[in-house]
Amino acid sequence: MAVHRPSPADPPPHPTAPAHGTRTPATPLPRRTVLRAAAAASGPLLLGACGTRKDAPRRNTGDPWRQFAGTTLNFISENTAPTAAIAADLRPFTRLTGIRVNIVTLELSALVQKVALDLASGQAQYQVIYADPYQVLAPYSKGLVDLRELAADPTLPPLPGGFGDFIPTQLDAAGRFAASDKVFALPYDCPTMIWQYRRDLFDKYRDRMAADLGFDPTPGEDSTWEQYYAIAKWFTDNADDVPYGTGHQAKQHDSLMNDFSNALWAHGGSYFDDDTAVGRLGTIDPGPCRLDADAAIAAAEFYRRLLSVADPASRTWDWDGVGAAFRAGRLAMCPNWHEFAAGNEAAMPGKVGYAPLPKGPARRAGMYGGTGIAISANTLPNERRAAWLFLLWATSPDTQLRGLASKVGGGTPTRRSVYERGDVKAAARRPSPMPNLLTTDAVERTWRSENIGLRPKIPMWNECDTAIYTEVSRMLAGDASPAEAMRSARKRFDRIIARGWAA
Amino acid sequence: MTRPTPLERGSLRSRVAAAVTVAVALVWTLVPLAWMALSSVKPSEQVTAATPDLLFRPTLGNYRALFTGANDLAPYIWHSMLAAGAAAVLAVVLGAPAGYGLARTRTRGKRHLSFWIISTRMAPIAAVVLPLFLIYRRLGLLDSVPGLVLAYLTFSLPFAIWLMSAFFAQVPPALEESALVAGCSRWQAFRYVVLPLTKPGLVTTFVLCLVFSWNDYAFALVFSGPDSQTLPIAASQLVTQTGIDWGQLTAIGTIVVVPMMLVGIAVRRWLVTGLTLGAVTGE
Amino acid sequence: MTAPAAPAGAAAGPTRTAPRPRRPGRLPGFEGRMMTPGLLLLAALSIVPFLAIIVMSLARVRLLGGVGLHWVGADNWTRFFTDPDLGWAWIRTAVYFTLTVGLEMLAGVGLALAVWRLARGRNAALTLLLLPMFVAPVIVGLLGRFLTDSTFGLYTWMLRQIGYHGDIMGSKTSAFTAVVLMDVWEWTPLITLITLAGLTSIPASLREAAAIDGAGGWSMLAHIILPSISNVLLVALLIRSMDAIRYFDVIWVTTGGGPADATKTVPVRLYETAFRFFDLGYAAAIGLAMLAASIVVARAFIRVLDREGLTR
Repeated sequence: MAVHRPSPADPPPHPTAPAHGTRTPATPLPRRTVLRAAAAASGPLLLGACGTRKDAPRRNTGDPWRQFAGTTLNFISENTAPTAAIAADLRPFTRLTGIRVNIVTLELSALVQKVALDLASGQAQYQVIYADPYQVLAPYSKGLVDLRELAADPTLPPLPGGFGDFIPTQLDAAGRFAASDKVFALPYDCPTMIWQYRRDLFDKYRDRMAADLGFDPTPGEDSTWEQYYAIAKWFTDNADDVPYGTGHQAKQHDSLMNDFSNALWAHGGSYFDDDTAVGRLGTIDPGPCRLDADAAIAAAEFYRRLLSVADPASRTWDWDGVGAAFRAGRLAMCPNWHEFAAGNEAAMPGKVGYAPLPKGPARRAGMYGGTGIAISANTLPNERRAAWLFLLWATSPDTQLRGLASKVGGGTPTRRSVYERGDVKAAARRPSPMPNLLTTDAVERTWRSENIGLRPKIPMWNECDTAIYTEVSRMLAGDASPAEAMRSARKRFDRIIARGWAA
Repeated sequence: MTRPTPLERGSLRSRVAAAVTVAVALVWTLVPLAWMALSSVKPSEQVTAATPDLLFRPTLGNYRALFTGANDLAPYIWHSMLAAGAAAVLAVVLGAPAGYGLARTRTRGKRHLSFWIISTRMAPIAAVVLPLFLIYRRLGLLDSVPGLVLAYLTFSLPFAIWLMSAFFAQVPPALEESALVAGCSRWQAFRYVVLPLTKPGLVTTFVLCLVFSWNDYAFALVFSGPDSQTLPIAASQLVTQTGIDWGQLTAIGTIVVVPMMLVGIAVRRWLVTGLTLGAVTGE
Repeated sequence: MTAPAAPAGAAAGPTRTAPRPRRPGRLPGFEGRMMTPGLLLLAALSIVPFLAIIVMSLARVRLLGGVGLHWVGADNWTRFFTDPDLGWAWIRTAVYFTLTVGLEMLAGVGLALAVWRLARGRNAALTLLLLPMFVAPVIVGLLGRFLTDSTFGLYTWMLRQIGYHGDIMGSKTSAFTAVVLMDVWEWTPLITLITLAGLTSIPASLREAAAIDGAGGWSMLAHIILPSISNVLLVALLIRSMDAIRYFDVIWVTTGGGPADATKTVPVRLYETAFRFFDLGYAAAIGLAMLAASIVVARAFIRVLDREGLTR
């Protein structure tokens, strides 16, 4: 099957070269007629994206919001809380602009597949894109519009509060890639990992635990991962109210990388030399992987020890599984995304407390998993402007506020001005009409730049992600020691990164 | 189905053993489906109760939620019916003559032709999707029901040709010969003599193609869009960032299954005789 | 029982199947015309993508701004033959394939025999037994996840009642067993249906003769019944095998390949490479290898079919 021959003297991949220019003449390559025929037959179909498309008409109207009335936009999104809230009521936007919006919601891996194909098609079936920073933004930032151009367009309504109203770490992490100038996405949701615990049980056993363990178990500023481990074990051994002290999202899945990373950073381990920079702005070349450093191996050892006292079903759970188990009363505590608070409050009103994750020997780290919404660079000029109107509206303070109160459980705000509102501040205390806001304190403390956990934002992250969660899963299954798993992960990372990325 | 005579059906003991086997198989088969249907009418907090709950107040809330709000399921059902139905009809309409031709042809390369037809069905989906996607974009077939029909034909058509050719191969050529002697054209002999004889085969082929198309997820995910999403896509949409709504998911599962069940029940008799005639009987 | 089943029937040669040509010059034309529309469409749908995969497997595929190819020669293939993970994935795939298809054949034939012997309620039983094959694989996966969830899964709860306290998707063996059983649940009915069709067509005279000769249960089964439906069994095997090699929906939805890669088969790996890593050149190489493996397996089955057909 394989026809072996030396690679032709191809120029190295040039990221901005247009597709039409990259079609290497077939001559140096396939000597066999069959292959030449294959290239000839499929070439024209594979390459080129010509054809005329019609842009949205622009109307003459004094109202900048209504100039694209009658246009239809397609928004492709993961099925997240804010999208659910927006999808539940699009009328305000249609009333405001006269633009119709179709929302296609998909599970994340399906979304990434469709977005990549749409960007590859050279057209924009989906003008507005839910741009996961690691799976869409980093690999395909060149396929997205620099939003600063639209924000500066005087014919369009202004961005309320400017880019500065978005929480800065989030604007960098979810909106930018590799350079601090261009903005590709507006922060849209902001799930963050925090410590969720059964306040009722902690209250009930506080004194006994304090006596047995020698420290106050109440989650707070000084709690450490070692204490977390001790509390978990104590609950499993001593309390009949719940079968297990802690549960984790340790399925062979993206969730395992998230859960493990918190421990990794807390113990002073890191993926690369400078995880702060690689995580916040991102880069194409992160340098050599550091997962085989002693601190990383120590973190892996701790994580394995922690999981050995956790609910054994942890190995089958992603965030959804651990959330359901916590709601069902199986666990005294777990690290999970803060947006699960709404579900917790519905299942066990008033019984759950929220705190930032514990500290490790090096620092405290809580994984940030926020995402922005972006515009496909394949859009035509007016389509692009109409899409910008949707971005403006969907991330506006009013919409974020409406999402908080939505019955379908909207997301949490990504703007500073919203958190400063009196009613939003009040909702951070019980009884709260916006239950996700009960996590506000824990989340805001996690977002501080010294506490936030940002996974590497590199274009080849998907493959690295798979490498790390597969290795940790092997470690948890007993197939590899912590040191073996980390060394093997490092080798894989280096191999993947050496292969490079050409979008 | 020809019933075995009491003599062949064996001893009482073997009949009891058979009955027990079937009973066990029924439990194994039906428990998941029954649990799915049951969960779909449970109040949502009971769907994920740690101890299975059989006592509950039935509610249609999950179904109501599926048909109201932003993602009304009705268009999904419509797209699924259109695309799977059209694909199955086309597979039979194109596959029957092709199958006949294949069964009767005397070309030397017949063996290879026949194998090539089956091998097209073996193509790994993830690998062929990108080229197909680009062809579709060129032809403007993305996000359209015709596009889905065409995608479904990639696996239904070879299956139909192959199965139908087996059915036609069982029809004794003598029948056509006498029709030709009686003055029929080849087409008339096919249309009025051979085709009616293979009706069970046509039904079997149609149903199996319908099932495969109706159930497809991988192609629908790539080629459908806002105007052509199908039911299996709707099911996967319930996997959200903050959890899976199992109540609605079991409801959608029930909705996906029931129409195919009805079709299956309606043509069951044909299915059995169809396969009997086609794949088995020689004379 | 002269004509072998499907592909063999089609491939078994002209002498038995074709009508005696009355006007030899024109007849092939008619068959050709009958085949043309279907085969043209099939060719359009399959040949171009196939050639495209071959081309892609020799290149690095870039997506942005329209698709571009960068020739890398045999790089993808070198990687394919030196990829340590892939070797294990092939072994897992072989085990998965053997177990699912094997169990489906055994259970399907056994069940067909049982249904066939039923005194009453045959049609009703068959109707119910066929239901799983009408369930979309993605729903089978999600339903499987629902039933085996450690917190609220019905099967988890049942197993706990009989003393099994492990987590079904948590250990390598049980997770692998679970995804095999889900596939078996869905596709055993197809085998049952086809086998039953075969059983009902065994000429009554044959069975009676055997019964009078005093052939009892097992001996009748082994010497009369199974041999006379062997063609049908091979058809069932072929139908099922074609899909068993490439389907991955159930695994993808339930375990995603875990735990510790225990359920990562080649199709899962292919999907991941193509649509999680967007390494489409390498994915094309894996895809071609999968296609080749399917063809080898199908060829082997068909060869057996042909031999059966010719010896009869």
